[in-house]
Amino acid sequence: MTNVNHSAVRAAQPASGEVSSARRMLGRIFTMRNIAVVSLVVYFAVFMAYPIFSAFAGSLHDWNPLIDKYDWVGFDNFVNVLTDGLFWKSLWNTAIYSFFSILFRVVLGLALALLLSSKLVKCKDTLRGLFYMPTITPLVAVSFVWMWMFDPQFGMIDKITGLDISWLNDSRYAMPAVIIMTIWKDFGYATVLYLAGIMALPRDVYEAAQIDGANWWQTFRSITLPLLKPTTLLIVITSLISYLQAYVQILVMTKGGPGTDTYTISYLIYDQAFQKYNFGTASAMSVILFVLTGILTILMFKASGDNTEA
Amino acid sequence: MSKSTKKVISIVVTILLFALSLVTIVPFIWMFVSSFAPNSEIVKITGGIFPAPTTLDNYANIQKTFNFFRLFANSVFIATVKTVLVIYISAVLGYVFSKMHFRGRNVLFGAVLSTMMLPWAVTIIPQYEMMVQFGWLDTYRSLIVPGLVSGFGVFLFRQSIGSISDEIIEAAKLDGAGDARIFHQIILPMSRNSIAALAIFTFLWNWEDYLWPFLMITDSDKMLLSVGLKMFNGQYGTDYGGLFAATSLAIIPVIIVYMVFQKQFIAGIATGSGK
Repeated sequence: MTNVNHSAVRAAQPASGEVSSARRMLGRIFTMRNIAVVSLVVYFAVFMAYPIFSAFAGSLHDWNPLIDKYDWVGFDNFVNVLTDGLFWKSLWNTAIYSFFSILFRVVLGLALALLLSSKLVKCKDTLRGLFYMPTITPLVAVSFVWMWMFDPQFGMIDKITGLDISWLNDSRYAMPAVIIMTIWKDFGYATVLYLAGIMALPRDVYEAAQIDGANWWQTFRSITLPLLKPTTLLIVITSLISYLQAYVQILVMTKGGPGTDTYTISYLIYDQAFQKYNFGTASAMSVILFVLTGILTILMFKASGDNTEA
Repeated sequence: MSKSTKKVISIVVTILLFALSLVTIVPFIWMFVSSFAPNSEIVKITGGIFPAPTTLDNYANIQKTFNFFRLFANSVFIATVKTVLVIYISAVLGYVFSKMHFRGRNVLFGAVLSTMMLPWAVTIIPQYEMMVQFGWLDTYRSLIVPGLVSGFGVFLFRQSIGSISDEIIEAAKLDGAGDARIFHQIILPMSRNSIAALAIFTFLWNWEDYLWPFLMITDSDKMLLSVGLKMFNGQYGTDYGGLFAATSLAIIPVIIVYMVFQKQFIAGIATGSGK
């Protein structure tokens, strides 16, 4: 900082030799690297570090902005959250939602990528584009389309299947309906990631396997699948992180209903924060979600690491 | 396998995949066809799967009821500005993190990366309060500034720029090119794939973002389309034709962005996911 001022003062002086040396000094201080790093650190402190700190602090307060309340309560919010039945129900719903969405996303994504990368299939670019359509369309719009498709009166799903199910109003079918919509929306992303992974597979290993007389299934089990593990891990982890945070499809399609049957953890936080204005409770929940996300991510990296060694 | 059996299998598999792809596009077609049907036709219980498209009224009405084109233009503006800025900032940071040395580089990069697993729920309340303090509510600053550093974007560019050989950069330096010139004339043009991938995702994420613009913007002239769609569904929940029409139009920009960048897209994803 003193350097900057010093050279700025000097630069103001008329002596020409001094000016050029001052300029060089300024040039050395205001490099692309320094500007980028300093701005990043400042930006990070203001828009990331400080909010994270505030969230932790807020979770220890009875905090309601509508009545201007911010009172220290220690760990009361956490105790309340962890003894709240709805919190655990939402957590369970989130687990179910994430598990099935990820499972189908991975299996469908891999199967389609294998097919699309085989020589047997024609019109690959068109097919890839079609499968990718749902992924590149906005979630709010797509949630509406599916809400209408599930409509028992005019929705096309009941009309096609001949069923008479009130999908989003029936506690047995509401969560499966949201999961179906999520799988439909997201499998294309996994397909594209797997396609990229398959493109990068080494050809010679496959030639060797062919010479050894390995059949398709053996090749798939012992070569393709293990080599694609980094891709699978990437998909599972990014999916998990995003499904733990999913709320838009719930907000649009079911509003957590019927009753509280499709409450997920992030929808519950949304509900607490921006419908009930219990900022303290919502902050405590978000801290728990943050810790949970971190633990699950690390566990998954660990688990996958152990497998490779075995 | 003989050549002709192979050909038959190939045709069958391709047809099967096209049949499967119907699942992904039929909802769009259904929405699009319905957007040309009068409400009475849409809700008719005895009707076929697709209502008969007989009218343009729905499209004519959405401007009146939704102020649709205003919201649409707002969303295009915000998503475009944000996409350009995020790509540029991510590329600069990717370059700095992959090709330049400074103390604490790995720690700082780790911090940026870790934001990818930070739930929105953690920062949204404090950021909301911050925007109130700054007096940024109902301004586009509140939509643009807080999301400028993308962990995903920085990661993508660090991967791809890291694979550009140092010799090219050294050679340019010997020719007297500064960092900025190397970045703009060498690094950026070589990062086309990452730019494409990030453009598609950033545009989509900003186009579909709901909660943040909902919290920030209350002025109906500045509102974004995703918020508008949700709101008008509450107000005119039975005007299905209008909602179908508005939703059909709402997906067009993201599809255009995808079509523009799709060629480099897969390769861009590949550099991001590999190694």
